[in-house]
Amino acid sequence: MSQWMTLFQKEIIEMWRNFKWIWVPITFILLGVKEPLTSYYLPQIIKSVGGLPEGAVFEIPTPTAGAVLASGLSQYSTIGVLVIVLGTMGIIAGERKSGVAAMILVKPVSYLSYVTSKWAGSLLLVWISLFIGYLSTWYYTGQLFDWVPIGEFFQSFVLYGLWLTLIVTVTVFFSSALLSPGVAGFISLALALAVSILSGALSHLLEWSPSQLTSYAGALLTAGELPDDTLPASLVALVIILIFLLFSVFVFKRKELAS
Amino acid sequence: MSLIQIKGLKKSFQGNEVIKGLDFVLEKGKCIALLGPNGAGKTTTLRMLSGLMKPTAGSISFSDAKKDGDIRHLIGYLPQFPVFYDWMSGFEFLQYVGKLAGLTSKEAKERSLELLEQVGISDAKNRRVGKYSGGMKQRLGIAQAIIHRPQLVMLDEPVSALDPFGRREVLELLEGLKKETTILFSTHILNDAEEVCDEILFLHNGEIVESGTMVELRERHQQAKIDLIFRKKTEEMESTFRNNHLTKSILIDGNRISVFVTDVETARKEFLKLISNKDWQLDKFEISSMTLEDVFMKVVGK
Amino acid sequence: MELLEGMNWGLIAPLFIIQLILLIVSLVDLSRIEKTNGPKLLWVFIIIFVNIIGPILYFVIGRRND
Repeated sequence: MSQWMTLFQKEIIEMWRNFKWIWVPITFILLGVKEPLTSYYLPQIIKSVGGLPEGAVFEIPTPTAGAVLASGLSQYSTIGVLVIVLGTMGIIAGERKSGVAAMILVKPVSYLSYVTSKWAGSLLLVWISLFIGYLSTWYYTGQLFDWVPIGEFFQSFVLYGLWLTLIVTVTVFFSSALLSPGVAGFISLALALAVSILSGALSHLLEWSPSQLTSYAGALLTAGELPDDTLPASLVALVIILIFLLFSVFVFKRKELAS
Repeated sequence: MSLIQIKGLKKSFQGNEVIKGLDFVLEKGKCIALLGPNGAGKTTTLRMLSGLMKPTAGSISFSDAKKDGDIRHLIGYLPQFPVFYDWMSGFEFLQYVGKLAGLTSKEAKERSLELLEQVGISDAKNRRVGKYSGGMKQRLGIAQAIIHRPQLVMLDEPVSALDPFGRREVLELLEGLKKETTILFSTHILNDAEEVCDEILFLHNGEIVESGTMVELRERHQQAKIDLIFRKKTEEMESTFRNNHLTKSILIDGNRISVFVTDVETARKEFLKLISNKDWQLDKFEISSMTLEDVFMKVVGK
Repeated sequence: MELLEGMNWGLIAPLFIIQLILLIVSLVDLSRIEKTNGPKLLWVFIIIFVNIIGPILYFVIGRRND
């Protein structure tokens, strides 16, 4: 356990030194908060800039607070995912490519600890960034529109966190299975995109697909009610996370560290 | 006492056999040089011994291996081009690696300071490793390899990337290290091997072509040789030298007779007397010996 | 002008501040880092002139992850 903590602490410190603890949460804040701000001020800006012919009736319906918050949240499943994958793809592949992994693993370091400590470090960053970013979005939405119940906020937060955890885990898996960070990132993104599109298109068939978690979180915010399939989708997500994590360790162990 | 036994060790890359069956035993407390030209398979051998590469065939058995075969607590390894986390300081890296190797925070800290001193980079301990020079990285590499006091330290070409200055210092470092642990280091420079080590494993084209202690190797190969060149060589000369009781073997090349002898001094006196008695016309008389360098060249040239 | 008065500066100001932090942090990192993907000078311009996205782009793709 103490060895795991040593590895984990190194991840945390590394993220301080390369400023991930600063720029990722800030990115998440800006991504989310942008939504309530633009939906609130855009109509006013258009009105004041003018250009609309005299007498034209220009009505933009004011969206509900839930819809605004949902659109803020949806930023995390697009640009947020991109940032997470690009930031995580080198986590193992990069260390192996540079050769530092061989320096570390020639010491009596457990492969399980090596992989899981990196995974846990990335997750901590993602969950904290998501929390700070989403909380800010919730606050701005409340100030400008209406307050969304805090319970709904937390539930949608957890659902999104689960989906992003899955994304991190898949990226860690490809990072440990492949030597190139770029290829690992590309495959992870392609896979996430394919699963999202497929599940979206066949949503009546793939209600349990983990990528539906994002739309279920959105549905909770707009309709105020959680779809029935949320539980199975969450469970499937957890199982997949576990499988990919174990595979990451397994695949990594079988690789030769020097080639 | 033997530390590791290597039997029939082989490694192929895409059907291309790079290591063709190594058998050797490393004794505790010795310093062994793995000597060979570039491409002989030195790095591959060390990588297999350190567990970074899996052998295609053969076995590596450490006498103190754990039940599951893990040997990593027993070894320290320095790759040819050590890589570190550039964002850490040298001190931080040593402590990190020390803790991973099982030291407590306190032990890791003390041991790191001690090693920084020993390898001579104390002044730079708080500087980021990314700013270190090649020589400093090599020394930090040696420090990280021995931080957990392993039974066997393996160093892959520890001095070949260094300038003469750095090389001198690292060799002296190894000299000191010899007292503490077993060392196996690879090099393609005979002088380096001779300077630090008592034993040599001579690797060429994936095979051990020669091995033994320096003394043994010298004795085995360092035959004294007397070259004699005559104005005109006759049958009588040949048979005289061939049948001389001091002669071990003889080589004839035109007017030159090379005689390998056991005792140079006696042979010199006796041969000169013999030649003057017979009044043979001698053009050249030269005494030389076969050095390890010759052995190295002979082996590599094959 | 009416628009600017109507803005809630209590909400907008913090965003300017964190945007500034992002800008400074990315420049500090850029000055420390040895190599970037692409010319370093290019990244200086991107960070300074491409509002918000510039620093983020730098961290995501400009910084060489090794």
